Amino acid sequence: MAELTLEHISYIYGARTPFEIKALDDVSLTVREGSVTGIIGHTGSGKSTLVQLFNGLERPTSGRVLLDGKDIWEKPKEIKRIRFRVGLVMQYPEYQLFEETIRADIAFGPKNIGLSEEEIEERVKEAAELVGLEPSLLDKSPFDLSGGQKRRAAIAGVMAMRPEVLVLDEPAAGLDPKGRDTILQGIREYGKKTGSTVIIVSHSMEDMATYCDDIIVMAHGKVHLSGSRDAVFAHARELCEVGLDVPQITRLALLLRERGVQMPDGVYTVDAALDALRPLFQ
Amino acid sequence: MKNISLGQYYPARSPIHQLDARMKVILAILYIVCTFLCKNVLCFAAIALSSILLILISRIPLRTVFRAIRPIIFIMIFTATINLFFTKGETLLFSWWKLQIYMEGIYSAVFMVVRIIVLILGTSIFLTYTTTPIALTDALESLLSPLRVIRLPVHEFAMMMTIALRFIPTLTEETSKIMNAQKARGVDFSEGGLIRRAKSLIPILIPLFVSSFRRADELATAMECRCYRGGKGRTKMTVPHLHVRDFAALVLMIAFGAGIVMLNRYGFGYTV
Repeated sequence: MAELTLEHISYIYGARTPFEIKALDDVSLTVREGSVTGIIGHTGSGKSTLVQLFNGLERPTSGRVLLDGKDIWEKPKEIKRIRFRVGLVMQYPEYQLFEETIRADIAFGPKNIGLSEEEIEERVKEAAELVGLEPSLLDKSPFDLSGGQKRRAAIAGVMAMRPEVLVLDEPAAGLDPKGRDTILQGIREYGKKTGSTVIIVSHSMEDMATYCDDIIVMAHGKVHLSGSRDAVFAHARELCEVGLDVPQITRLALLLRERGVQMPDGVYTVDAALDALRPLFQ
Repeated sequence: MKNISLGQYYPARSPIHQLDARMKVILAILYIVCTFLCKNVLCFAAIALSSILLILISRIPLRTVFRAIRPIIFIMIFTATINLFFTKGETLLFSWWKLQIYMEGIYSAVFMVVRIIVLILGTSIFLTYTTTPIALTDALESLLSPLRVIRLPVHEFAMMMTIALRFIPTLTEETSKIMNAQKARGVDFSEGGLIRRAKSLIPILIPLFVSSFRRADELATAMECRCYRGGKGRTKMTVPHLHVRDFAALVLMIAFGAGIVMLNRYGFGYTV
């Protein structure tokens, strides 16, 4: 349960070299307590930099990161404590597994917090269940698992730390549709069960529309749009201008409405479209 | 993103950047020879002046150039001290307990420091700062190609070097990614004693090893898919040509060397 706020954040890579790149430019945003917020943007829009600021892996060139109203860089030596409160799952997290068994790997984070054996055991079980890993897999080596299973184990490793804010960078990238749904559902489930704030970074509009309450659109290192899902997708044209798109089904609904078919607002999923269209055929 | 700069290469448009990489390797070797030809004050003044000139021509900012010198400051101080106290000569300047400083000692300490600085500056300006690592390995391959006669796999060595260089930034990026991921899980690399710190490296080294082997495997497959079969009969996409400017630079360097040899005769003060 925590609110995350960024105030006038700028981040520059390689300052004062010929390779200087301004990754973030005066970004201010708030992630609501207990919400599932999606951050969406094209490659190079600054989203991966952004997530590393959330848990203090990177320090902003200027601006403040506030967790529940307190600057996380107030005491730089205690930044480690922030990392237990804001859990970060990086892109392709399956490559960071290193323990001999999945169980030990998921337990790595909780162990670093200094929890008791029983507490760790319980958290490992709970996290594995949330991401849909069968108990029989827990004693296998990470290298015997499939890509999707490894990904789930890595995400469970961060969930087991029970962070108040869970940040995931492209958690579903490169997975098949079924694996993607399991993982995203597990993540939503985690937020619901613990009341934690969840931030998902992605460039898939479909996933965002299905799983997020709020959406922040990044473009060229700035916040382009932000607000509730409905408010953001109402700006379909602006989204197209920054090279993003509304979900395909939403575009279909908009086109149908242009041709005079009665369609409600906010059709983001195929199921919603079905519900809207079914009466027309009866 | 952080490691876009590969090695020390500093992109700029300067006459030195434009020289052929093979010529730059030869020039660097000749320049090193020149520094060792120096025997007296005049010569060292000339060579110091020449390296300042090289910096100006290459258009590399002074701050960047001195970054190359920083790591060897300790060695410089060490050599200077040794030379200062252990060179015996005729004019005694200072004596205390067992320490004696002669005029010759001061000369030789200064010479040594100038020589080291010029060596580092010369090689880094001709090679690392103005030549991309890939151009450099290509140049070495081309310069060493006569050794093929004695069955030395020159191309394979060059290819291995190119691949190694190519993967340095990739692996640094990967390392920082893995480090960040483990930091996010609460590892602290700067805490605890030696053993604890060494232990905290395990979560980095294992994934790094695994991914290096995976990358090597993928690269080998990709190369085979594109019919790579070693150096035999392999052509180059960009064939380097020697231009007038390359020969002009060579002539200049030889003239400079000859000048140094001449100056050795008119020296005053201490001679090495």
